[in-house]
Amino acid sequence: MATNPTDADWQAPLERVPTGIPGLDIVLHGGFLKAGIYIVRGQPGTGKTILGNQFCFNHVATGHRAVYVTLLAETHDRMMQHMQVMSFFDPTRIPDGLYYVNGFRVLEEDGLKGFINLLRHEIRAHEATLVVLDGLIATEESSQSQRDFKKFIHELQAHIAIEGCTALLLTNGRGNTYHPEHTMVDGLIELHDVLFGTQAEREIEVHKLRGTDELRGRHSFRITNRGIVVYPRIEALLARPSSDDQWSDERCATGVDQLDKMISGGIPRGTTTLVLGASGSGKTSLGLHFLSQSSAEDPGLFFGFYETPLRLRVKAAGIGIALDGVIEQDHLEILWHPPTEDILDALGNRLVEAVRRRRVKRLVIDGLLGFQEIAADRPHRIGRFLTALANELRALNVTTFYTAETRNLIGGAIEGPTIGLSTIAENLVLLRYVEIRSQLRRLISVVKMRDSDFDPSLREFRITAAGFELAQTFHSAEAILSGFPQLAPEGPAADQAALHPPGQ
Amino acid sequence: MPTVLVVDDEFGIVDVLETILIDEGYRVLTACNGKQGLESLATERPDVVLLDLMMPILGGVEMLAAMMAEPAYRHIPVIMISSLGENVLAKKCIGYVAYLRKPFRATAVLSTIDRVLGGRANTGIL
Repeated sequence: MATNPTDADWQAPLERVPTGIPGLDIVLHGGFLKAGIYIVRGQPGTGKTILGNQFCFNHVATGHRAVYVTLLAETHDRMMQHMQVMSFFDPTRIPDGLYYVNGFRVLEEDGLKGFINLLRHEIRAHEATLVVLDGLIATEESSQSQRDFKKFIHELQAHIAIEGCTALLLTNGRGNTYHPEHTMVDGLIELHDVLFGTQAEREIEVHKLRGTDELRGRHSFRITNRGIVVYPRIEALLARPSSDDQWSDERCATGVDQLDKMISGGIPRGTTTLVLGASGSGKTSLGLHFLSQSSAEDPGLFFGFYETPLRLRVKAAGIGIALDGVIEQDHLEILWHPPTEDILDALGNRLVEAVRRRRVKRLVIDGLLGFQEIAADRPHRIGRFLTALANELRALNVTTFYTAETRNLIGGAIEGPTIGLSTIAENLVLLRYVEIRSQLRRLISVVKMRDSDFDPSLREFRITAAGFELAQTFHSAEAILSGFPQLAPEGPAADQAALHPPGQ
Repeated sequence: MPTVLVVDDEFGIVDVLETILIDEGYRVLTACNGKQGLESLATERPDVVLLDLMMPILGGVEMLAAMMAEPAYRHIPVIMISSLGENVLAKKCIGYVAYLRKPFRATAVLSTIDRVLGGRANTGIL
């Protein structure tokens, strides 16, 4: 008689062994499976040895033991010289926690069988729960046949399973093809060094990971003084926002009273606003106004590409915005990332981390172009990247201002960023220059505001020592959108007098 | 012609040491782990042992301990060779007479062996 399985009939989920490598455990969904066997392959210089060592040191730092076995690899002293500049390297863990051996002579003299015995002996003798074999290719070259090599992998798999030891096999691999041993192991990870134009970028790719819902595709990584740092691809990491979308009818003051009046009291909380305008039109200044409202309940973050924190503070002070106080009280953080040789996902991860760390509720990303410049060689990514980022920020109930530059300085035609605006922006505010009687004037207009009533009229504004000043209305002729405005004969004398008093 | 026993699992290092020592007129024995090293001592009487710390099967700490425990070997001076600093080594190893940190230069190896053989010291660190 068939019976339904009870809880006792199922085995407990397999235990995971975290690598401790920043970002990698996110990609691996918590780490490798205990007693699993994994191949890490990559061309010379892609970071396999660092990955193996970093995993070992992190593993022994948590009270476990590891053995690092080299074959035809660099000597241990050279390896340690290279590792000792990295913060994970801790010589006090050697040899008690982490033990290095070279198995090449045993492999040469006793073949695969002898080498398997050596591995088994070392795992037992050092009570290792992690073994890294650096130079798997040498065992393959010592095999009489492909069958021999598969048998070696199979035996190794059996031994590490019975010892409860996880194994990482590092290899240069042979070309880009797949090999029979790949079907036998629990996972296959590849390290790449990719050239985008003249810029080289390292990437890690999980081809296979049994029993794991890993983040598929390639993810950028860097080799830093902390060792390897992996930046999970934002589109994969945030494919689903970390929490359910939130809805609020609360308004978030922009810091410019007249603008708040135009938009029913402020920006809808948890929405994304694109502030679009020509260079110098006041986008950053409007963002600074918005962030000047940061508080303990409403922490702010300025994430910019072009202006240093010092310049921003000076700029803010020049228009009557006192940022120093909110910064000193930790109500506002300024992060500056010049768009030079950075990694798109490093920026994305840094931004999300900074938002989560301080539970940021007001965010200004100053210069969408910064993201576009960094992703210049992979333009197809930027739309998906920003969409995933915007979805996550909404889920975290962050009210976000993106600033973006229009290409034309003056005129009616608006050329915005090439990415799809609608996916990232629920609200759109335009800042423009117009030329009237040989003078440049600034106009602000609200083009859309999520599910809200707003005043769609154009307003002239000035940026003075007291910040943004908006006129009541801007009574321009119908030609204003064409870029050739004419003041109406019955024009708004009060507005003009207020914004342009005689002598100015 | 003094005999040097080189015990190290890294074949590249063993090969280099063997070459420079032979060039200097030494007789050289080699072993790739502590077990082979002890087997070598059973049949040979080297004048000095160059001993690596970490090796498969039997490491340098264990081989040194076995030598110190055996009166027949206790007098053979041992020079430890390791990538680790001597502060780490000193806590693990008792009875070695000198220490060479990898990577080392040929001149350092030769002068250390020369000193050890000249003094025949077998206690304390030179």
